[in-house]
Amino acid sequence: MKNTIKVERARHNLTQQDLAEKVSVSRQTINSIEAGKYVPSTVLALKISKIFGLALEEIFELEEED
Amino acid sequence: MKEKSILHVPLLSPGWKKLAFVFFPLPVMLVIGMAITRMDITPDDSAQIIYGFWAIGFGLLNLSREKDEDEMIKSFRLQAFQTGSYWLIWGLGALMLINYLRFDRITSEIFTAYLVLFLLNAYIYAAFKYQIYMATKD
Repeated sequence: MKNTIKVERARHNLTQQDLAEKVSVSRQTINSIEAGKYVPSTVLALKISKIFGLALEEIFELEEED
Repeated sequence: MKEKSILHVPLLSPGWKKLAFVFFPLPVMLVIGMAITRMDITPDDSAQIIYGFWAIGFGLLNLSREKDEDEMIKSFRLQAFQTGSYWLIWGLGALMLINYLRFDRITSEIFTAYLVLFLLNAYIYAAFKYQIYMATKD
């Protein structure tokens, strides 16, 4: 699953640590999600999209292998 | 409901990991000590003492919380227990096959609960750490 968290973070001037604290996970988890190594739960994905004020599908996108 | 569920596993504080690491050298020193003091102990007994202590050590590591126990770590932990069980089946199968080829029987005195618990917990720990390594490497 692709995501635009890195882009949105830059747009909102947030570091990985800032975002991690806002959604109550570790910085490493945010890093792994951005790198596509970990697919977040629905709850975490919704929390992230809420922080950026966007709809879920504007941040996360399914890929062909999903 | 999640918190009250009988399926919920409470984890130990991260401090328990320090105690867990004590269990790795301890049985080796114990067995050497028993050999030096000429206690009547067979090589099989020595192996079982080591397996037992190491099983406790890995068990404590597997049941201790990470510093940041978030959903990714919880997901890795669940996967590690599943992977560990899978590897255990293959590992025991391999040991049985080796035993059969060497001694013409699949059972052996070394297949004890201590060995199985040691292998299971070691596999779980390895699978857990491997996932963390894969997720964190650049």
